[in-house]
Amino acid sequence: MGLMLLFGLFALGLFMGAPVAFALAFASVVTFAFEGLPLQIAFQRFSSGVSVFSLLAIPFFIFAGELMLQGGIATRLVRLAAAAVGSIRGGLGTVNVTASMFFGGISGSAVADTSALGSILIPVMKEKGYDADYAVNVTVTSSIAGIVIPPSHNMILYTVAAGGGISISSLFIAGIVPGVLMCLFLAVAAYAVAVKRNYPAEDFPGWQALLIAFLVSIPGLLTAVIIVGGTLSGIMTVTESGAFGAIYAVIVTAFVYRELTWEGFKRAVLNAVTTTSMVMILVAAANAFAFLLTIYRVPEQLTMLLQFVSDNPIVILLMLNLILLMLGMIMDMAALILITTPIFLPVATQLGMDPVQFGIMLMMNLGLGLCTPPVGSCLFVGCVIGGIGIEKAVRTMWPFYLAILVALLLVTYVPAISMTLPNMLT
Amino acid sequence: ADWRGWNIHPEGYPNTVALEQFAKDAEAATEGRVKMQVFNGGVLGSQPDAIEQIQAGAIDFANFNMGPMGPIVPLTNILSLPFLFTGVDQMHRAMDGAAGDAFDAAMQEKGIVALAWYDSGSRSLYNSKKPITQPADVEGMKFRVMNNQLFVDMIGAMGGNGTPMAFSEVFQSLKTGVIDGAENNYPSYESTNHFEAAKFYSITEHLIIPECVCVAKASWDKLSAEDQAAVKKAARDSAQTQRRLWAEREKASRKMVEAGGATVNEVADKAAFQAAMQPVYENYLKENPDQADFIKQIQGM
Amino acid sequence: MPLEINDPQPVAAPRPDQTGPVAKALDGLAALCMMVAGVMLIIIIVVFGWLVWGRYVLNDTPTWVEQLSLILVVWITFLGAAVGVHRGTHLSVDFIREGFSPVPRFVARILADLIVFSFGAIMAWQGWTLVSAGMGRAVPMLGVSEAWRVAALPVSGVLIIIFVSARITRMVANRNLTTED
Ligand code: NA
Ligand code: NA
Repeated sequence: MGLMLLFGLFALGLFMGAPVAFALAFASVVTFAFEGLPLQIAFQRFSSGVSVFSLLAIPFFIFAGELMLQGGIATRLVRLAAAAVGSIRGGLGTVNVTASMFFGGISGSAVADTSALGSILIPVMKEKGYDADYAVNVTVTSSIAGIVIPPSHNMILYTVAAGGGISISSLFIAGIVPGVLMCLFLAVAAYAVAVKRNYPAEDFPGWQALLIAFLVSIPGLLTAVIIVGGTLSGIMTVTESGAFGAIYAVIVTAFVYRELTWEGFKRAVLNAVTTTSMVMILVAAANAFAFLLTIYRVPEQLTMLLQFVSDNPIVILLMLNLILLMLGMIMDMAALILITTPIFLPVATQLGMDPVQFGIMLMMNLGLGLCTPPVGSCLFVGCVIGGIGIEKAVRTMWPFYLAILVALLLVTYVPAISMTLPNMLT
Repeated sequence: ADWRGWNIHPEGYPNTVALEQFAKDAEAATEGRVKMQVFNGGVLGSQPDAIEQIQAGAIDFANFNMGPMGPIVPLTNILSLPFLFTGVDQMHRAMDGAAGDAFDAAMQEKGIVALAWYDSGSRSLYNSKKPITQPADVEGMKFRVMNNQLFVDMIGAMGGNGTPMAFSEVFQSLKTGVIDGAENNYPSYESTNHFEAAKFYSITEHLIIPECVCVAKASWDKLSAEDQAAVKKAARDSAQTQRRLWAEREKASRKMVEAGGATVNEVADKAAFQAAMQPVYENYLKENPDQADFIKQIQGM
Repeated sequence: MPLEINDPQPVAAPRPDQTGPVAKALDGLAALCMMVAGVMLIIIIVVFGWLVWGRYVLNDTPTWVEQLSLILVVWITFLGAAVGVHRGTHLSVDFIREGFSPVPRFVARILADLIVFSFGAIMAWQGWTLVSAGMGRAVPMLGVSEAWRVAALPVSGVLIIIFVSARITRMVANRNLTTED
């Protein structure tokens, strides 16, 4: 009864178009009252949900990502990608994917990736005669690299939603191969479509120009080395690495590249606050929600139900992926990580799946959701930058969806793809 | 009554087994008038959160470590004083006797009834550099401690650098030399694999902090006197089980870390460590002068 | 011809769609919240830098950094969340509502805002209960009262009430069911 109230009110709030966090929070608070639980405790779950050491890395990553955009790091990474792979047929498509791979290694967010690389590359691509839908398709789908390739604040959300106990280092390192693999598939799709549509190739600027583009990018790429390296080596915690990365990014953009203005700095800070609070208020609400799920023993019941439906792990995993894909279409990633992890992770581990592998699967799956209608923040941002309607972009996006789906299935059913590196680490 | 219980330990842990016994016995002894459901693994929140929950009535019972009880019930800070007890036996004598009753009374004022006392073993120093036999060995080393100024001061009094750090970060930090050591009991030292990164375990037994089985005062007062007696007896019985399982667990863990290559050393001159704690005690008594007699009384038990 | 790749042009900030003294005051309040939260973010980053510096260089780890940051991040979250209500930046699923015909859509918008309003009101009230409960409890390693952390909740609750009531009033006042808000 209480459980029905919880989900019913949540769904009602969603359908009315209330912010997800508030729909979640409101449903939880009312259910607390219904169960005779002190309301004070609902709000305790809010503040303790946010007051978590490893979550401090989230504002740091987001701020560093903003600085990349305001301070010229993203531009230099695109120039590097253009010099390296621009001479392939339909080169700017491959450039876009490659730049996402680099940028993904610094930014932890797909939306930051879309807006940073999209605002640089989509105008250039349109000018060079690429269709807007193609430019948007490539930009949006490849931005998922920002989530899968470390660092990734969504991975931190996942470890927190899983109740601790999953090493963030393992998760970070586990994302590298799947992320690169996914980018490879996307590059193939981008190439195939480009050939079919007869897009041009850029001139190879020469080895010297490539070398210069690389050298110029090094200070920016070092941000990734600091954040990921600091975490993986264990010299710093992920939170400390994030703070150091942010401080370093300020120094590079302000004093090395000399592109960060006071206005740009302020914009970066305020944008970071906006994004951080959006994510963290979801964390807060989801923490109260998860408290109720625990009291109602939902994960145990779902595991039993799924085992009743099928005892074939392949089928159950396929079902999990389908459910997640459908949820990902209508809801945003951060909210879904926080809501689905406590419910689905026990199911996956019951099947013998490593929580790290499940995490990577979850990242790719929900990342795909960011690129699909009706709700997909990357798709929305990409379409706004590209100046085209969502329908127009989606109609031609299927080769890119397919590329991600293939990578997702490989990650789901071949543990070695995600687990080889972390197993070597420990 | 349906009671919800909080427990931070995982399935199969001595405390979890004992709590399950407590729930079963209490239900039988009250003929089903008290039904208990334990939520293991800290799924309902951290201990400070759970203390607030038990005070507000969101949960009805819990197994708390007395360390984080200090901010809520100041008298219980005494239990976090280093080298308060000379050994686990003395701790049992004190907590099962007058000292335990005094702590219970103080906790009841804050809405928590303590029924019985569990073990969480004795905590000792371990590090990656060398065996510690005297306080001076600690000099210049960085030790991770729990979030309490007393523990920072404790390491400081030996000339080391006490660093509060999230527990989940300790293993990596030991491995990479961010810290030189930490302090804990055998089972934690073993189950966290810290012994792989810090080979020297020195039996300083500087902290022997008991745990309590607690019930919310509001839920407790709703029971009849007979049911209260029955529940209390079930709790005390479960404490015997927990202490036995804990002792077995400690022995097994010690064997495992030694087989895993850890070097365990006794500390012959504990008095030297106790003497080094002088400034820590002085500081503490300056802030809590009214607790001086009680501390003396505990030490004499 | 060599490929030229330049920095993107900064997108112009959206112009406030409402004018008048009340709207101005609310925009000002939101900007003030953002400024406070922004300063807090900078403080967290700087003190974490100090933490790493202290640990490696000074061999003396500042023990207050973690707890201070944990309090500030609660404030950043709840101040930013209130401003998000005002500016409409929170993630929501509005494709269903936007598919409704004008009258039900109007009702749904009001209902959605009432959900936000009720939540804000309960948070203002219960957040205050949390503050009173936290009064006597010290945050470990910092010495300040636990109340400082949870005080962000009632403050945010009140801000949300202010922002969302203004919007509901506005929506009801110029009840134009056909145009976009
Ligand atoms: Na990333
Ligand atoms: Na979507």
